[in-house]
Amino acid sequence: MIQMHNVSMSYQPESTALTDINLKVPKGDFVFLTGQSGAGKSTLLKLVYADLTPTRGQVLIDGVNLTRLSRSQVPLLRRSIGVVFQDYKLLPNRTVLENVAITLEVLGWGKRDIGKKVFHILKRMGLEDKVNATPLRLSGGEQQRVALARALVNDPKILVADEPTGNLDDENKEAILSIFKEANNRGTTVVVATHDRRVIENSHRRVIRLDKGRILEVSDVQG
Amino acid sequence: MSKANKGAVRPKLAQEGFFGRLSYFSSRALANLKQNVFVSAVTVGTIALALLIASLFLLVYVNLEGMAQGWSDKVQVTAYFDKEPAPLAVAALKGRVAALAGTAKVLFVSQAEAEKRLRSRLKGQESLLEGITPDVLPASLEISLDRDHRDNESVAGYVRKLKQIQGITEVQYGEEWVKRFNSFMNLFRLMGALLGSFLTLTVLFIVSNTIKLTIYARKDELELLGLVGATRFFIKAPFLIEGILQGAAGAVISLLALLGCYFAFLKNAGDFLGINPASAGLSFLPATHLAGVVLGGVLLGFIGSATSLKRFVNV
Repeated sequence: MIQMHNVSMSYQPESTALTDINLKVPKGDFVFLTGQSGAGKSTLLKLVYADLTPTRGQVLIDGVNLTRLSRSQVPLLRRSIGVVFQDYKLLPNRTVLENVAITLEVLGWGKRDIGKKVFHILKRMGLEDKVNATPLRLSGGEQQRVALARALVNDPKILVADEPTGNLDDENKEAILSIFKEANNRGTTVVVATHDRRVIENSHRRVIRLDKGRILEVSDVQG
Repeated sequence: MSKANKGAVRPKLAQEGFFGRLSYFSSRALANLKQNVFVSAVTVGTIALALLIASLFLLVYVNLEGMAQGWSDKVQVTAYFDKEPAPLAVAALKGRVAALAGTAKVLFVSQAEAEKRLRSRLKGQESLLEGITPDVLPASLEISLDRDHRDNESVAGYVRKLKQIQGITEVQYGEEWVKRFNSFMNLFRLMGALLGSFLTLTVLFIVSNTIKLTIYARKDELELLGLVGATRFFIKAPFLIEGILQGAAGAVISLLALLGCYFAFLKNAGDFLGINPASAGLSFLPATHLAGVVLGGVLLGFIGSATSLKRFVNV
């Protein structure tokens, strides 16, 4: 599903964000990427959804080499990947429903189908009474769940999340993790970048540890 | 893995086809305008103000041009005969002159008519005309030229041809006046073109920068759309429609403001300034120019949005 071969990434010639990364995440897997701030977690995730192109090496998603992808093919790839951003990236002047609907509008769904599907996922997230609220009127945990709903509403093949539990309390962390697990159980490959040890320890999943842009260790299912 | 996940499958192709997509993008554009009322109002206001200045300039230019064209009606050529031609010959001569390229109107002035005109001009001083008979004043043809033949070279060429007609002994036209008038018109047009160009550049600069700022304010939205898999066209289309709508709204508002200014201050300004006493004040812009201003607004909105989007859409 996700493969990286000798991937290196530099933002500037003298500073390297990732060095010689070799990685395989099979279909339906659930892995954590961990490491200190600046270890390269976010850069690695951005390579997966083609927000960045590696300076060296190859990134393959379902056998498709992203380094050879034309500009017009990138949107098609991204439609099969749900992304939860560290800063949520919710549009403040649109309602919760409209924020989640964006993913389906891009796919060309009809208004009625969008309404049904979005309401269904918001219900799963426990946000059915916040449909018409704007993000600024929601708590951090609720905003994170809206971002998750937007990422999962089209049943993506891959879900990547960058520090999804960063600013949340334990209760909300638990809620978010159970949504990840549920998505994984439905067949979605999940890659979560986090430096939260408790989240990793409680999840019993494979962990890839990064340090200064290199893979330090890959540990099997924890727990 | 419990279920095979098929990824992004859609149940219905609701927005496919030209009209389906256009309807989706238009409704998205309208929703964006509603959600960003203040920013949209600033853009529309800037376009309206910029176009109002441009159309005020256009109004003044069009009126001055019309006035100057009115003056050029005075470009008249008079051909004198040594002897008054017989009535039958007059018709033939008028026909030959009318056949020359550039002739707009030909009027025969007989010796008697010339004397009558002189007498009416010297009303109250008739004693000066004592002993003068109509034979003293020559018969003539007064010729008005059409607008395309009023420049120096055309008038000179016309006069040369006129002199070749038998019976015409002398031709007079305000050579010096024609030269000065044409120099003035050339200068006037040059100034108009220069000022118009500067004004157009200023308007383009102000409007494109305003649109750039408003699009910059929504760069997160553009980025997000790209990250959830929207194509460049999908991201840009609603913004371009917004640009067109803002441009059209700005143009209509500027024309309404111009109409207001026209009726409040400009309609009788011509009389007030005494520029052209014959005219009944300044005239409003003709329909073609009004359509041009609206089209200009639409193009401003479209081009301003398109160039700004190019910078912020990285998909």
